[in-house]
Amino acid sequence: MAAVTLSKTASASVIDLEDVSIGYGKDAPPVLVDVNLSVERGSFVAIVGPSGVGKSTLLRVVAGLHTARSGGVTIHQDQRPGHRPVGLVFQDSRLLPWRRVIRNVEFGLEGLPVSRDERRHRAEAALKLVRLDGYARRWPYELSGGQRQRIGIARAMAVDPDILLMDEPFGALDAITRHNLQDELRRIHQETGKTVLFVTHDLEEAVHLADRIIVLGGTPARVVRDVRNSAGRDGAVFRDQVEQLRSEIADNYSI
Amino acid sequence: MKTYNKIALSALGVIVFLLAWEAVARSGVVPARLLPSPSAVPTAFLTEFNSGTWQAMVLASLSHYLVGLSLGTFLGVSFGTAAALWGKWDAFQAWVVRMLRPIPAIAWIPFAIIWFGVSEGAASFLIALTVFWINYYASYAAVRGVDKDLIELGYAFGQGGLIPRLFKIILPGALPGILSGLRAGLGQGWMTVVAAELFGISGLGMRMMEASGLLATHIVVLYMVTIALLYGVSDFLFMQVQSRVLSWQR
Repeated sequence: MAAVTLSKTASASVIDLEDVSIGYGKDAPPVLVDVNLSVERGSFVAIVGPSGVGKSTLLRVVAGLHTARSGGVTIHQDQRPGHRPVGLVFQDSRLLPWRRVIRNVEFGLEGLPVSRDERRHRAEAALKLVRLDGYARRWPYELSGGQRQRIGIARAMAVDPDILLMDEPFGALDAITRHNLQDELRRIHQETGKTVLFVTHDLEEAVHLADRIIVLGGTPARVVRDVRNSAGRDGAVFRDQVEQLRSEIADNYSI
Repeated sequence: MKTYNKIALSALGVIVFLLAWEAVARSGVVPARLLPSPSAVPTAFLTEFNSGTWQAMVLASLSHYLVGLSLGTFLGVSFGTAAALWGKWDAFQAWVVRMLRPIPAIAWIPFAIIWFGVSEGAASFLIALTVFWINYYASYAAVRGVDKDLIELGYAFGQGGLIPRLFKIILPGALPGILSGLRAGLGQGWMTVVAAELFGISGLGMRMMEASGLLATHIVVLYMVTIALLYGVSDFLFMQVQSRVLSWQR
């Protein structure tokens, strides 16, 4: 069993996965094997693959919510005080319904050596970052799906994480809201330089957002492709990149 | 329906009920001894009030009620929550609970008298017992029902330790269910007050027993109405507090 190791030594990568193998239960066959992956500081990495391939589980391993069966998971934590190594954004926003928006954003800061004033200040800054600074006193039930996801992002950003982990964060949104939030996320990534590890089953989304795309496939799954991407939403290049990935996944996805 | 209309309809219901009762009592179909008319109750109230009996009985019952209610609620919520949180403790106490649960509070009266004498303590003990079980089961179910995803959220954001998990996620998440247990206990508690006082502990129940012994049925009805009002007021106040505490709900 391999838990997450927190390393304080300076490194060009934020996380290093070495020969990571993941499974559920003791005797069940592994879901994901031989994962070797280093995520560079400041990069935006997308993990794609068909559903059930173990993308989300891999993210949960990095977040410390699931323990890998074997292999090493290292997070190179920065020296600055008052932050957490990871900030997690869920597909279902997961706001605490009994806390107002601002107190939801403060949630991860509680328990850190941060004064009450600084906590409030950082939460307000995070709300501003997701452009919902007028919503601090609202209850979660008063928000739309897109707004709830923004609050989820603000909550993760407020802890100033070494890496932002996102588990299909826009998967449950309508197409228009999804596009808006994708653009917002690109802006946030550019403004803050935060390292992002982003799980999605949507190839267009991966090609639009990420500068590196990891494709998982096979049974048990492993990394089948690791591509640099610079398409953005740049017309023809974007189409080519998506089509190429699609055919490669089809080749590797044999059932 | 508008709130105003609702209140008007509720008031109308009460008036129709009282008028029908008065009509049956006056018609002579039923002997007056068996069914006192509601119009006899105000006179009974004045007599009881002027002698100071009414106030003394209400205060005595109120003190049994409050002690029993707070003790039973606190212990019920604590034990119910603990059983829902820790599987081992749950298994350890599961059969003890199954054996004790079906015994009604009145069946404990002999022990209440042996342990506490015919005293305030005995009445409070019986009320606490009734209230305990209601809160035990309500809290157990409420804590079990807390969204596991929110608990996972706690772990992801460094709030997975017992204290933050309990106070920031489990208890707030279980609060609506715990509060409905509290509310049920509030009503059941008043019912037990009467039962607990019937064997001679000073209070509303005892006074009802005395009056029925003298066939003073209008005084019995006066104290029935008193209990109904006390329950009504406590339930109303509780709902006011609850709607504030749960203002985060849609």
